[in-house]
Amino acid sequence: MPLRPFLRGLPYMTWFLNTFLPITNDLLVGFRATVKLFSLTLLFSLPLGLLISFGSMSKIKPISWLVRTIVWIIRGTPLMLQLIVIYYGPGLLFNMPLMERFLAALVAFVINYACYFSEIYRGGIESISKGQYEAGQVLGLTKTQTFFKVVLLQVIKRIIPPMSNEIITLVKDTSLARIIAVYEIIWSAERFIKLKGLIWPLFYTGAFYLVFCGVLTLLFGYIEKKMSYFRS
Amino acid sequence: MAILEVKNIVKNFGKTTVLKGIDMKVEKGEVVSIIGSSGSGKTTLLRCISFLEKADGGEIVLNGETIFDANAAKQLTSAETRKRQLKFGFVFQNFNLFPQYTAFENVVLAPKLIAKERPDFKENKDKIYAEIEETAKQLLCRAGLQDKFDNYPCELSGGQQQRVAICRALALNPEIMLFDEPTSALDPEITNEVLKVIKSLADEHMTMIIVTHEMAFAMNVSDRVIFMDDGVIAEEGLPEEVLKNPKSKRLKEFLSNVRM
Ligand SMILES: Nc1ncnc2c1ncn2[C@@H]1O[C@H](COP(=O)(O)OP(=O)(O)O)[C@@H](O)[C@H]1O
Ligand SMILES: [Mg+2]
Repeated sequence: MPLRPFLRGLPYMTWFLNTFLPITNDLLVGFRATVKLFSLTLLFSLPLGLLISFGSMSKIKPISWLVRTIVWIIRGTPLMLQLIVIYYGPGLLFNMPLMERFLAALVAFVINYACYFSEIYRGGIESISKGQYEAGQVLGLTKTQTFFKVVLLQVIKRIIPPMSNEIITLVKDTSLARIIAVYEIIWSAERFIKLKGLIWPLFYTGAFYLVFCGVLTLLFGYIEKKMSYFRS
Repeated sequence: MAILEVKNIVKNFGKTTVLKGIDMKVEKGEVVSIIGSSGSGKTTLLRCISFLEKADGGEIVLNGETIFDANAAKQLTSAETRKRQLKFGFVFQNFNLFPQYTAFENVVLAPKLIAKERPDFKENKDKIYAEIEETAKQLLCRAGLQDKFDNYPCELSGGQQQRVAICRALALNPEIMLFDEPTSALDPEITNEVLKVIKSLADEHMTMIIVTHEMAFAMNVSDRVIFMDDGVIAEEGLPEEVLKNPKSKRLKEFLSNVRM
């Protein structure tokens, strides 16, 4: 190997090995929390949102009124505020011990996103024409069969574009958990400012988000394509 | 004995009375056409007969059995309604096919789901499904759709979609077929392919009630024509009588408007 180019490259190499890799490693720890918060939020808020949408469409007026009010409050206030209220609120109001930070963040995210999802579900369900339900009815399908065999897939097809928007927003919203000091990727990058005066790890976190969102975009594009065989 | 008797059916939407006491009888194998201007209550009548709408007054008797009585002390459960609904095949103006299923799947979906309630379903599942599929194939072929089995509704013309919808209703082997303006959503040049299918059912003595604006078709296919006007049956009789020699002024007006 020619010696000169090698020696010229050496400082970069040592920087790469001694600084870049360890910092990447640290950020990955934070990123793991980000992904965990993201996945668990989805896992719980997707079904909870469906329940909430049924509630808001309920024929029993007090139920739909109550559910719609809750959805209005959650959608009408900043998620950051909700995080703070859920983390500190129970302690201040009822003298309860503080929840674990991650758990508090998860609860806030699940409630917030379930409310957003519920509105998307409701829009999707209400956009299916009455004729589809009636066709199910005259063909002797039960209400449950009509929902699962006829309506559901059409709803899914319609809500995929707005859902993918919301889910990609969730990826970036997880960074708000930092306000109650959840050790997610932004928080882990910020430490390097205090510890070593390095600002670039914070910028570097952008790459993690970009890759994550890029993968999701591809995934949703694939699902959309999969469902393009029918039009409703 | 009449297969279907509709007695004094009344239907209100809010404060407006849309059906003001409809009486009609349909004999087995009879084809009855209902004509009348838009808003006269034709669709509402079919919907009341097929339980898509609950009438506010009157009775419906099928094969001598009262299947609906507005004054009955207790309401029908949804399971009872479902069972009665299956006596009727309903064809909608705008088809209402299920877009995510192929033509063939649209036809077999309901029969397969309903077959699950049969006591012998578990033992004979394969045989039952094979029969259902065979029936579906025959129906689709008879409607001229032999090469459209695997097409989704969005890949079919309006006329083809409506023919699939007719097969889908027939697959449940209903006692009476109800058609609500089956060709109104179609381009004039393709109404015939649908009318031909309905005509072939008439030739096989399927009992049918057809709401239509196709006077020539009503003339040709029906045993009896009913003219509805403002929620009542204003005139009825043999097609020649009603369509050629209208008695009331309203029917004369209506007929001259459609012929134009
Ligand atoms: N679901 C409904 N709610 C309120 N009014 C209705 C409803 N369905 C039909 N109507 C009214 O009932 C009348 C008869 O309608 P319809 O049976 O559809 O007439 P047709 O089929 O003869 O055109 C119309 O005035 C229509 O506006
Ligand atoms: Mg109508």
